[in-house]
Amino acid sequence: MKLSSLGYLLKEGAKNIWSNRTMSFASVGVLVSCLLLTGAAVLFSMNIDSAMQSVEGSNTITVYCTQGLPTLKAVQVGEAIKDIDNISECELVPKDQAVEEMLEVLGDNGTVLEGLMGEDNFLPDSYRISMADLSLYDETVAQITSIEGVEKIIDYSEIADQLTELDDMVTTVCFWIILLLGVVSLFIIANTIRVALFSRRLEISIMKSVGATNWFVRVPFIVEGVIIGLVSGGLASLILNVAYDNFISSLSILSFFTPLPLDPYRLRIVLVFLLVGAGFGMLGGLISIGRYLKKDVGVLTTL
Amino acid sequence: MITFQNVSKMYPNGTHALNHVNLNIDTGEFVFIVGSSGAGKSTFLKLIMCEERPSEGTIIIGDTVVTDLKRRQIPYLRRMMGIVFQDFRLIDNMNVYENVAFAMHVVGASNKEIRRKVPYFLSLVDLQDKAHCKPAELSGGEQQRVGLARALVNNPKLIIADEPTGNVDPALSFEIVDLLSEINRQGTTVLMVTHEHSLVKHFHRRIVEIHGGRVVADTGKVEVR
Repeated sequence: MKLSSLGYLLKEGAKNIWSNRTMSFASVGVLVSCLLLTGAAVLFSMNIDSAMQSVEGSNTITVYCTQGLPTLKAVQVGEAIKDIDNISECELVPKDQAVEEMLEVLGDNGTVLEGLMGEDNFLPDSYRISMADLSLYDETVAQITSIEGVEKIIDYSEIADQLTELDDMVTTVCFWIILLLGVVSLFIIANTIRVALFSRRLEISIMKSVGATNWFVRVPFIVEGVIIGLVSGGLASLILNVAYDNFISSLSILSFFTPLPLDPYRLRIVLVFLLVGAGFGMLGGLISIGRYLKKDVGVLTTL
Repeated sequence: MITFQNVSKMYPNGTHALNHVNLNIDTGEFVFIVGSSGAGKSTFLKLIMCEERPSEGTIIIGDTVVTDLKRRQIPYLRRMMGIVFQDFRLIDNMNVYENVAFAMHVVGASNKEIRRKVPYFLSLVDLQDKAHCKPAELSGGEQQRVGLARALVNNPKLIIADEPTGNVDPALSFEIVDLLSEINRQGTTVLMVTHEHSLVKHFHRRIVEIHGGRVVADTGKVEVR
């Protein structure tokens, strides 16, 4: 294809979008929604993964003593825990320290806990322990719970399980929604281009009569689809970036959860969105024009 | 230029549009194709343009056996033809110049070539002063002259005119055929489908009459003085 033809065809494709602007805007809207939802689901999943890694990486178990256990007894519980072979670390967290740590985590929101120091403190004493060999986890937990004065053990495998469950659920729901929106976007793009094809059937018939190849007829409509896809990809990545930045800043007061920073992924998101958008647009264009040309537009047939 | 050897065309609905047609049209001829509605004239043109394929027989255009052509080769065959339509088929939102240039863009002509050739062909059909007019601002005769310029601009060897005077005043019909005759005098083969007996009588060219899918009359080649 000659360069002059390429320039002409690109211009024609761009003109198509403006001529069918209502349908083009609808296509952009649906594709942006689809990309946004995909992006949000992926970021959510990445955050869950990161949270799970930090939880699993800490390898810490909290052993709570019985509520109101005298301090001496609590120290004895600690000694008994340290006597277990598989315990590598065992640190006492007195109940006042636990309240202080909660206050630190909650920041300004923790004022309600300020009066709970000393005698009014309802939290039990606890121990943070680490195991030397995680393969002996179940046996070690059984030994700890058998110690008199131990109320319960909280490990993070439960939290990790819940996070995995949540991640799986979000992934499944998002997968179906994305699939549905993907099909809808493809359908709307294909229809937008079909409308453009219909409104330009006279031009196509003339093109064919003077010897245009099918590719020459196709290119403007593929360009139209790709432009719709690129605009959608650009818009979706912009919205996702801005929305996620706002999300991070609004969660910055929570010190127990640090959202994944977007900076290392920003460029990748933009590129992937542009690529996926353009791919969808091109596919929509190819589907429409393929079906239209298959019927071989008549040259002499009355339009 | 065009050879039909025992060509028949039957449509899937059972209509026998052409029946064992044998016809030879030499390069540089001007041929009127006449016949009533449904006689098979349109099918005859569609077969030449490869819009339809014959059910039987062989069609040769120039050196090309059309019946052997692959789908992707059809556009290149059509580039040796120019078509003039009864309903003009001009693009409303393009002006006269753009309508003619459009046919050149399609075959990949450079902008320089388009700027050089379009004004020439517009002056050939005497529309150089209306280059910036939209089709709606032109009379039927002028619109058909734009169609003619568009058909000529890629230097075709064959002009197919499908009832080109069907939508213009009778007085202007002669003007259109005069133009086609002038083009024919320069060596281009012209094939014109028409219903207008006055034109056929006046221009004294070869007449092929199709009726019921058969060539029922052919005056043969006419020497033009």
